[in-house]
Amino acid sequence: MGEGTLLALGSILWVTLLLVLPLLVMVALAFAQSGAYGEIRWHFTLGNFRRLAGFSVLDGSWSPDTLLILLRSVWVAGVTTLLCVALSYPLAFFIASRSRLTRAVLLGLVIVPFCTNLVVRTLGWRVLLEWAGLYPGPFAVFVGMVTSELPFALLPIYAVVERLDWSLVEAAHDLYASRTRVFLHAILPQTLPGLAAAAILTFIPAMGAFVVPDLLGGAKYWLVGNLIQQQFGVSRNLPFGAAVSLALLVLTLAGLFLLRRHRKEGEP
Amino acid sequence: MRSRVHPLVGLLAVVAFVLLYAPLAAVAYLSANATRHGFAWRGFTLKWYAGLLEDSAVLEAARNTLVLAVVSTLIATVLGTLLAIAIARFPWPKGVRRLLDLLVYLPVVTPDILFAAALVVAYQFLRGISPLFNPGMLTMVLGHVAFQIAFVALVVGGRLATLGRTLDEAARDLYATPFYLLRRVTLPLLAPGIAAGAMLAFTLSLDDFVISFFTAGPQSRTLPLYIYASLRQGVHPGLHALSTLIVLATVLLVVSLEALTRYRKD
Amino acid sequence: MRRLLAAFALACLCLSCSQAEKPKQQVTVYMYSEYIDPDLPKEFEKQTGIAVRLDVYENTEEMTAKLQHAGGVSQYDVVVVSDHQVPVLAKLGLLQPLDAAKLPNAKNVAEQFKSPPYDREGKFSQPYQWGTMGLIYRKDKVQATEFSWALLLDPEKQPGPFVLIDSMRDMMAVAFKTLGVSVNSRKPEDLKAASELILKAKRSAKCLGFEGGVGGKNKVADATAAAAIVYSGDAIKACEEDGHLAYVIPKEGSIIWVDAMTIPAKAPNAEAAHKFINFILDAQVGARLSNFNRYATPNAGSLALIRKEDRDNPAIYPSPDTLKTLEYLEDLGEATKLYDEVWTTIKSR
Repeated sequence: MGEGTLLALGSILWVTLLLVLPLLVMVALAFAQSGAYGEIRWHFTLGNFRRLAGFSVLDGSWSPDTLLILLRSVWVAGVTTLLCVALSYPLAFFIASRSRLTRAVLLGLVIVPFCTNLVVRTLGWRVLLEWAGLYPGPFAVFVGMVTSELPFALLPIYAVVERLDWSLVEAAHDLYASRTRVFLHAILPQTLPGLAAAAILTFIPAMGAFVVPDLLGGAKYWLVGNLIQQQFGVSRNLPFGAAVSLALLVLTLAGLFLLRRHRKEGEP
Repeated sequence: MRSRVHPLVGLLAVVAFVLLYAPLAAVAYLSANATRHGFAWRGFTLKWYAGLLEDSAVLEAARNTLVLAVVSTLIATVLGTLLAIAIARFPWPKGVRRLLDLLVYLPVVTPDILFAAALVVAYQFLRGISPLFNPGMLTMVLGHVAFQIAFVALVVGGRLATLGRTLDEAARDLYATPFYLLRRVTLPLLAPGIAAGAMLAFTLSLDDFVISFFTAGPQSRTLPLYIYASLRQGVHPGLHALSTLIVLATVLLVVSLEALTRYRKD
Repeated sequence: MRRLLAAFALACLCLSCSQAEKPKQQVTVYMYSEYIDPDLPKEFEKQTGIAVRLDVYENTEEMTAKLQHAGGVSQYDVVVVSDHQVPVLAKLGLLQPLDAAKLPNAKNVAEQFKSPPYDREGKFSQPYQWGTMGLIYRKDKVQATEFSWALLLDPEKQPGPFVLIDSMRDMMAVAFKTLGVSVNSRKPEDLKAASELILKAKRSAKCLGFEGGVGGKNKVADATAAAAIVYSGDAIKACEEDGHLAYVIPKEGSIIWVDAMTIPAKAPNAEAAHKFINFILDAQVGARLSNFNRYATPNAGSLALIRKEDRDNPAIYPSPDTLKTLEYLEDLGEATKLYDEVWTTIKSR
């Protein structure tokens, strides 16, 4: 066991120091004050959360804006996930139904955009959408989000579709089941784990996205990621940024929790 | 049954591919278009590409990107492999096992920006201890390795699971020391898994924008950061040329990695 | 196993190589984009043998954040800072005092810039350029005899796609001037009114969002936008290249600013930094600088060498009447937090 610890020590230290501990510090930071010039003042305050809930620092009035950003992020992430999964599902079947060589080529074609840098892909959409007059705006952001997450959704779905047990499908056919019933009862249940994985792998990055809304939204369609980027960068307000980050974490975990529960219910 | 597919499925597949490649095609088209603004075709030219070669900022960014990817991949592959072996091959009490699994999964499930925010906070404090932690290549490598370890560990761990324990037991029956077991049995068998993990880590590093954005120093800008910063001054064809080159490099990378995996598998 | 260890060692070696000092001496300069004649750094290197490394930012807040939180204080040698941030950075201990003995060319600086309100003792800064902020527009899209900020802020007057400026103090100043209050107002009701004005403009379908001065100028130059908020020099340069463009300071007034060269507290090469600042303060160099970027020079020695059209151009050197409508931005102290929150609201709503 001692040897085991030794082997794993490097990794454990690395991840703990650079991820786990700072996340814990962020929890503390969220309750700290920010100085006028961006210093951190370690006095306990709920001000960051009040501001997150929408209470203005100016005059204490309430407005739903910050909460709107959070809701909008969940909305965008959710719609993106749905669209990605909905588009990847038929795509996976299409690829799986081709010959071996074609399959390899098509998969390669999917992986290339997946490996290409997000900034490059988003730049491409920016010029296209600008020419089409659809930049900047929510539509542009959705297009950018869906196309950037598509390969994330496709690969897990494809993994299960490729291993599909077609004998079940044939059995259903032999029992004179209609096409819809064949799909719903013989195909869909087998692919659910892949669908769930795809949903999770799409939802998480979508929740934290900031490059796509930044480059395609023109500051008119902010998501949580943009807010965090601004607070940690230009606004130099680490405590408020930490509070928003915690909100993001909570929302992401909540979304994941719901997905897992749904998956458990959907399992045969 | 397998080759009969509803025409709608085929149509959606085409739509998906168009969506995936439209931006890349647009950028490639503009990179060879002899005009600074607009989409109208004004003649073929390679001058935007030529301009890149003379731009020291671009060359430096490219160098930084590669150095970062290579160095972080090497470190992460070593550490991730060791972590996977440690988790799979040693008896842990249940609670510790859960913690270790959490450690491996945490970087994977954390959204990029949260990870980056955590790193910013970490470096804020570490900077007080040593100026080494100023934004720069070191902080970027540390950040990249932090998330690469988890992915390498996952891939290698998956391969370890399929290997099973029979070979281990056989080697132990033959009085092999744990170190010998590791060196002569486990690692060679794991080699394809390690290679796959390393490739994944390398791709993730090349692809990364968010973590690099928050941890880079003035001299360690990578290509995606350079493009992002340039975009804020305006879109110009040099960026299109650069982007097309990146896409071509990615295609080469994917093709060669595919070829490598096939070779190893055989 | 051996291979893994070798790879590990190689990685460490690579890492140490990339961190190694460059053999040539270097000075790292941080300023706005498109702010210096590209020939000048080469000239400096020829004269002193020190290579110039240029890094750019798009707005003041980005620069301050870099210095304060992202380690810029120990990675840059010369930073060009907006006037209102000089006392802030000095207070935070991020700047080091300049050694007057190493800056003989400082005598060239015009009287009014020698002990400016933002740096009374001239301890931390030397002026780089000064200028104004205004509107750049396409003459074919905008036909007006009188120019007002309402062209951007009033949905009924917006001529076409337009760009707002992505800089907190500058954008708020535009709104404040339209409301007729000081650009340094700390009154919550002023802030609230200003934010509502800007939000109304941002929500318009014609608004293309927020960009830095250079980004906005480029959008107008390639006809993506009809108007944008820009700084004087960027605009004049663009108008020279394209006769369809024009620059104007709206009637409600605007800000006048001075950008100053400073040396961060932990600059890696303060010696070279002083040499660079001294180089810029040279009369000839100052003239070349302003003739290139079309901003106004604070260098009395350079004034005689500036192009006559520029010296007579009221857009670059405002007339006394215009000067009355221009205000300097000042440090807001504690009120900065209020501005920060208002700005976040504007960006995120």
